[in-house]
Amino acid sequence: MSVQIPPTLSAETVREISEDRNEPEWLLEARLDAFEALDDVALPDVIQTPGRRWTNLEALDFENLVDPLNQSDETERVSAEGATVLSFVDALDEHEDLIKEYFGSVVPADTNYLTALSAALFTTGTFIYVPEGVDAEDVKIRAEMNSQTLFSHTLVVTEESSSATILESIESGDDVDGDRYFSNIVEVVAGENSYVQFGSLQNLNEDTYHYTLKRGDTDTYSTINWIEGNIGSRLTRSDVETTLNGDGSETKIVGAFFGHDDQHLDVNARVWHQAEHTTADLVTRGVLDDEARSVYEGVQDVGVDAWNTSSYQRENTLMLSDESEADASPKLIIHNHDTEASHSATVGQVDAEEMFYMTSRAIDPQTARNMLVEGFFVPVLEEIEVDEFRNDLEELVQARLN
Amino acid sequence: MATLEIKNLHAEVADEDGETILRGVDLEVNSGEIHALMGPNGSGKSTTAKIIAGHPAYRVTDGDIILHLDEDDLADIDEDLDEEDYRWSLLELEPNERAALGIFLGFQYPAEIEGVTMTNFLRQALNAKLGERQELFEDEDEDAEEEEAGYETSPMEGPVDDGEVGVAEFQQLLKEKMELLDMDEKFARRYLNAGFSGGEKKQNEVLQAAILEPSIAVLDEIDSGLDIDRLQDVSEGINALRDEQGTGILQITHYQRILDYVEPDHVHIMLDGRIVKSGDASLASQLEDKGYDWVREEVYETA
Repeated sequence: MSVQIPPTLSAETVREISEDRNEPEWLLEARLDAFEALDDVALPDVIQTPGRRWTNLEALDFENLVDPLNQSDETERVSAEGATVLSFVDALDEHEDLIKEYFGSVVPADTNYLTALSAALFTTGTFIYVPEGVDAEDVKIRAEMNSQTLFSHTLVVTEESSSATILESIESGDDVDGDRYFSNIVEVVAGENSYVQFGSLQNLNEDTYHYTLKRGDTDTYSTINWIEGNIGSRLTRSDVETTLNGDGSETKIVGAFFGHDDQHLDVNARVWHQAEHTTADLVTRGVLDDEARSVYEGVQDVGVDAWNTSSYQRENTLMLSDESEADASPKLIIHNHDTEASHSATVGQVDAEEMFYMTSRAIDPQTARNMLVEGFFVPVLEEIEVDEFRNDLEELVQARLN
Repeated sequence: MATLEIKNLHAEVADEDGETILRGVDLEVNSGEIHALMGPNGSGKSTTAKIIAGHPAYRVTDGDIILHLDEDDLADIDEDLDEEDYRWSLLELEPNERAALGIFLGFQYPAEIEGVTMTNFLRQALNAKLGERQELFEDEDEDAEEEEAGYETSPMEGPVDDGEVGVAEFQQLLKEKMELLDMDEKFARRYLNAGFSGGEKKQNEVLQAAILEPSIAVLDEIDSGLDIDRLQDVSEGINALRDEQGTGILQITHYQRILDYVEPDHVHIMLDGRIVKSGDASLASQLEDKGYDWVREEVYETA
């Protein structure tokens, strides 16, 4: 089902954004194509269980949420020696060829309605380029959203045998009346034998609707590891995906979320095994308090040619309140029998025996519960390579507990 | 000297069916004494242990559990003490409050807790005990400032906050106690019981008792699943609790074996939710020879 284009949007809006930024003609054309595509593409699929559609994206009021000409952000970028870390618009001056080659190559604009909207309207984002053999450690992108609407597009390109560890953090800056919309598209193109860890920590204020699609393509022997942390927002729809196109390539998709109040978190991890000897490990841990809701879909898709595949998936949701709700569906689709795979999901409350064990050692129930929740996130924290990111996530978890 | 006094304790499972488990348990354990509680499966030994510690799965329907304390037990308390500060009905207290007063339960099946290191957990527990003790003896103007002690430490890197016992001091203490139990130092950095063998878990229970220095320790089948070396280590740990800290021990066991290393002052036999026979160490040997049927016949024929 397609969505009406908000009457406030037109091809003129798109031209204006592109011209303001002095973009090359090909990028304007790409934006206009994306705008055209809005008529034909649908919103992302959402999980449905009997009698229930978990995330109602149709109900989003795009007419009021999307204010494309007043987008504003303040983004601090910390590079690493030998690597390029620039705002998308600045990067066009230095690396237009690379951007032209890879923009939209991993997440085509017409993937869905929301990606098309992003490609047509994005004004911020980061281009990260790591040349052959360079190790770019602790690249940091700290973004503050200051407007009602913000569309961000980030592109990461790593050349052969290079590596990058990246932290992206997203927060709300200036206050704005009413609901807000933040869109974050990330594409990772990992060259042969390169390594990328892309960590994202979203802590937007709770008037903000948040959509993110992060997708990577691996070349031979390359690795893409994602860490996806969602703490803020009113509603989050997060899709983190890797296509394992290169023989011997690997991915980890590690997720953490902690919802409270009336937050709604729709979190998805997907991997497509398309080559031989590929490995995927999907680990998501989420906590829900108050009336928060979460819905998780994990997909491991093993293609016909994916010989000798290893693919693992675990999702655990911990509910701290009787009013919170969660649904989880881990899916395993196997088209090649030469596969070792596992998948599991659990939804449960804090274990009563663990609580009794801890309180029997004099620890008060509140502290015991908090220790268990923090411990629950440790498998995620252990995966994080950028120290600052790990500390930030720990602090946000602790702040929510107290 | 502390005394744990269990009086006419009746209890059932706290669910709809409410199956009765304890039918009038009477037992007294003093500091410095070692008691063995024996009995066949299902007789109510473990339930007794869990109820002493305050397990929510059981409902006490009659009787009481009193902890009597004296000046020595409360030497660390800064408050003026009233008569009632020396006598506590455990049934009115939460599990963490009971622990703060000096009750320790060594679990038959200790919980495995990922993501919480031994060091972090034990220091948290020790500081919680010291803090909660002061609170329990404070005067009644309690709800004036019900401040929740915020837990502000990293589960991975260990606490950096205050607490009465600091990190360095605690690590020294932990090291000493681990050496006593012949435990490898690396345990301190592992997650609580996660992936521990059965024997390692039991050693860890005794270690925790050694650190928390309880007045009364109830050890639920601490000896099951131990090889001979570990049984000796664990036994040494239990004897040290009694000899060095004056802890009163209530040791629940099926087997005579551990009693060769931890010699009990008193042996009690439990059948069908009551203690039916008590005696000295020789009772355990008699039991080993004659079995529970002997006790059963004796008890029910005289009855």
